[in-house]
Amino acid sequence: MAEWTPDEVLDARGLSCPMPILKTKKIMKTLKPGQILEIQGTDPGTRNDLPAFTERSGDELLGEEQRDGYISFFVKKG
Amino acid sequence: MGVLVEKFKEGYSLLFDRNWPLWVGGILLALLGVICMAAGRPWGVAGGLRVWSDWLFYWIGLYSTAPAHAFFLSNASILTWGLLFGAFGSALMSRQFAWRNAPTLELVKGLVGGVFMGVGSVMAGGCNVGGFYTALAAGSVSGFAMMAGLLVGALIGLKYLMWEIEHVTSKPPKQKASKEGGIDWSKVQPWLGALFFAFLVGWAYCMSFRAYTQEAVLMIAALGIGIVIQRCRFCFVRSFRDPFMTGEAVATRAVAMSVILSVFGFFAIKWFRADWQMVYIYHHWIGGLVGGVIFGIGMLLAGGCGSGSVWRAGEGQFKLILAVITFSMSNSLFKNYVWTKDVANSWGKPIFLAAVTDYFWAIVITAVVMLVWWAVMAWNEETDSLTIV
Repeated sequence: MAEWTPDEVLDARGLSCPMPILKTKKIMKTLKPGQILEIQGTDPGTRNDLPAFTERSGDELLGEEQRDGYISFFVKKG
Repeated sequence: MGVLVEKFKEGYSLLFDRNWPLWVGGILLALLGVICMAAGRPWGVAGGLRVWSDWLFYWIGLYSTAPAHAFFLSNASILTWGLLFGAFGSALMSRQFAWRNAPTLELVKGLVGGVFMGVGSVMAGGCNVGGFYTALAAGSVSGFAMMAGLLVGALIGLKYLMWEIEHVTSKPPKQKASKEGGIDWSKVQPWLGALFFAFLVGWAYCMSFRAYTQEAVLMIAALGIGIVIQRCRFCFVRSFRDPFMTGEAVATRAVAMSVILSVFGFFAIKWFRADWQMVYIYHHWIGGLVGGVIFGIGMLLAGGCGSGSVWRAGEGQFKLILAVITFSMSNSLFKNYVWTKDVANSWGKPIFLAAVTDYFWAIVITAVVMLVWWAVMAWNEETDSLTIV
């Protein structure tokens, strides 16, 4: 069971750089402050790119969870 | 013994658990690039890729004469093999190697992006490495033209990606559920990686006894480049794309700094080896500019440039494996066409910057252009003025 309950889920499995971040940035614009986006990804680069992205955007990277064959990242709109 | 094992684990974790900062990559790439230059063959990626397809097309009977460079043991080819092997071994060492499939649309973008990059790199005299990074270090004026082209191409490519997100939907590929039991590959991978590297280094040592010393040196340097680039996830695409996408300029800073460092090394070597002055000097300006635009679009579609596609292929990413294959084939075919039709002369003239000014001012000019690029993107990092996403 997830520690965080997402308002939106982005399925970025199988996508490689830069698509996960590009899609994340687009969806984050539609969220209200406090809402949570779950990003499901398989690209090893996302673990670096996402913290760099949230640091600039003012959103909060809550954490990640290892799932079966992918990783879920949770980002809270700031 | 316990302490030693502990220290060994710490060292391993430092090198292969966390990624290295990009600026470390910038410094190390400059160093390894200068070593390649000193060994007589500056770092490039497209040249090696071309040799592979030259042979393929020769074997299937499309080309009538055998390629001048050997499939494996030639200086261009060995640099790209080394990059691929280095990235593959490094991915194993850091337990990041995995077969990664992608949605069909992504695979198509890999194929098409590869063709764009193959064609663009023929016009510019190399990929983002040989046509831009190494070319600038070597004092080729065409490097500036390609840089401008890459910026334009990256913008066009990014515009397309944004359009695609709005208008095209693609399904993610089926994910294989992990099997119960069996071998835990994540534990085995680092040992396989270490074994692979030990084999390659030993083999390079043997090559040096068979009058292949240059190839051996180049392969060791290229292995180093592959490791550095995989551990840093060093990406030339990011340096051109990210300022327009997220506003981030970390990659831009790393590349700009790396070019400035390399220039000193390259120019020192060229100064003492007057017969090497025209090494890595390409057609200015149409070749660099138009090639750069085409290449820039391709690298955005593929999500990897010359070096980026190869190291990601070494990590097991299927989309980039396809990009490398079409890159290699289209480069070979287009280059062959260009040679037979003799059209390259209409793309401009090869100009060595230091022959126009002198060595001092050539270094100053290159450094100033890099610093301006750096400064504009750092300003954009604060203001997001150029960000279009």
